[in-house]
Amino acid sequence: MAPLVVASGLEKHFPVTRRLGEVLRGERPVSRAVDGIDLTIGEGETVGLLGESGCGKTTTGRLLLKLTRPTAGTIRFDGGDLADLAGAALKRFRREVQLVFQNPFDAINPRFTVFRALREPLQNAGVPKEEHPERMRVAMHRVRLPDVEGYYDRYPHQLSGGQLQRVVLARALVLEPRFIVADEPVSMLDVSVRAGILNVMRDVHATMGLTAVYISHDFALVRYVCARTVVMYLGKMVEDGPSAEVVARPLHPYTRALVQAVPVPRVDQSREPLPIKGSLSAAQAQVGGCRFRDRCPYAFARCADEEPPMREVAPGHRAACHLL
Amino acid sequence: MSVLSVQDLEVYYKTDRGVAQAVRGASFEVPEGQVVGVVGESGCGKTTLARAIIGVMPKTARIAGGRLMFQGVDLLGLSPREMASRRWRDIAFIPQSAMNSLDPVYRVGTQMAEVLVERGGMDKRAARRRAAELFDMVGLDPGRLRDFPHQYSGGMRQRAAIALALALEPRLVIADEPVTALDVIIQRQVLDTFKELQGRLGLSVILITHDISVVAYASDRVVVMYAGEVIESGATAEVLGRPFHPYTMGLCKAFPELHGGGGTLVPIEGSPPDLIAPPEGCSFADRCPFVEPECRTARPPLVDVASGSLAACRRTSEAEELRVLAGEAGTWLRS
Repeated sequence: MAPLVVASGLEKHFPVTRRLGEVLRGERPVSRAVDGIDLTIGEGETVGLLGESGCGKTTTGRLLLKLTRPTAGTIRFDGGDLADLAGAALKRFRREVQLVFQNPFDAINPRFTVFRALREPLQNAGVPKEEHPERMRVAMHRVRLPDVEGYYDRYPHQLSGGQLQRVVLARALVLEPRFIVADEPVSMLDVSVRAGILNVMRDVHATMGLTAVYISHDFALVRYVCARTVVMYLGKMVEDGPSAEVVARPLHPYTRALVQAVPVPRVDQSREPLPIKGSLSAAQAQVGGCRFRDRCPYAFARCADEEPPMREVAPGHRAACHLL
Repeated sequence: MSVLSVQDLEVYYKTDRGVAQAVRGASFEVPEGQVVGVVGESGCGKTTLARAIIGVMPKTARIAGGRLMFQGVDLLGLSPREMASRRWRDIAFIPQSAMNSLDPVYRVGTQMAEVLVERGGMDKRAARRRAAELFDMVGLDPGRLRDFPHQYSGGMRQRAAIALALALEPRLVIADEPVTALDVIIQRQVLDTFKELQGRLGLSVILITHDISVVAYASDRVVVMYAGEVIESGATAEVLGRPFHPYTMGLCKAFPELHGGGGTLVPIEGSPPDLIAPPEGCSFADRCPFVEPECRTARPPLVDVASGSLAACRRTSEAEELRVLAGEAGTWLRS
């Protein structure tokens, strides 16, 4: 698989409100939302970025699409450095990548009909007018809204959440992108319609060979849609591997706790206490060493002194823990 | 013995477009010392039901019928004052976001003490002691009673909300999506604390959620709501293991399984009916792959089914075959 997206040493820091003492000492404290991510995504790969709120998954997704500038590190897309993109090259990049939003109700202008919402990206990208109808029809078929004419004249409020999210997806696909980032694409939808969207997303990968990053806090969902899972914790990757492997043989203690914590819709499930302590918010202050050490039941002296690097334990399955 | 018996409850809302029938003849029992999970999607009436039980309703809502029998008394017949005196003392509430029940400008301890003094009739010292005891019980450091709500993390706030709900040793606790806003690990920890306390104190609980996994994890019995009606209820293992209503069958297959298997997810196409003009027949008919013409003529009542559950479907006798068909995604696809 040829690499399509290569992120190296990616960091994004946000300034935080300074205390008086910090102002006087001239310090500029930052929140390290993304703190050193090395990630290579192959052409056609589906990667789930999994983590709790505040782990940096959304920021990572925005960095990959050049929607925000990294504090440090580089991202290469199809060989070219994103930082150097400008003019025509940037415009082409914008056609080749797309973002799918979390809330379909915010993603489409409520005054636009479905037709206008789908046409807009084509116009912005300067696609010749005669190609529009066919492109729009193909995109609507891809998201399983084949009754195209029935939808074109409708406004967002006339659609159900599930239909609207399909339109949002169709809008992202209408330019035939090579890479999409979907941020919690179904978290606003009811369960009964979620499944339809997830199935559409699986189909889209199979038929278009699209490269995609899904950002989610839902392990089961990531497992269902993505071949590969990347687990993030406080701005760091802690585990990366084939989704089925990560669930079946989690390497990092954090991933293990996650696997155990995910409730399943069955009565016969484990009710063992979780091998983890405290909460994310309490752990935030740590710099240096392993970010997870305060909550880790296996932490020892080295975890505080030395940051564990990502180590490959099985083919394609890596994790960052001193115990591996 | 039931602590609460919900009988044919009807709750209507006045809206710009007309009267919305949010809860339409819901009936179920809450047995002593058990957790009853009420599960359904947005707009199914589960939150309205909770609000009717605690007697806190918006002005546009009207109880149009039914009874809420609590310890031999119909809660719907009580005056607002009588109901208010029972709130916290007999029936307590845990909201989805505790930030909405905690006042941001007062210390958490002050708010706990207020409930204990005003409603529990304790003196200030006893109240402070009890507040510390409650915090300890829900796994919070009593020292944090001096903090303001914004100094708490989401999980701590939900723990504080649980402590507040348990302050006056109520018989019945109604928890509306108590862990929905939390990350999965915190969610699990808060649920474990809650379950442990529920068992130890013998509390009766109504756990309202959209998440069938939370119900599976934490409840003894489950009530499935759809379009304002109870469409299935029974022991959790039975309802989730051997569903008799097609909606429940679909719902159980609509979640991806973490450990794989399970095949393709089942999408339930379409959306629930408009509750301003609900259909005459079965409310699920438009989305049901097993619908027959007769389903649309009259609302099917809740009937006893083989598993000991209750289900509102005309075809419960064929449930075995329907369950097999419902497990295939193709069954649910519209041609």
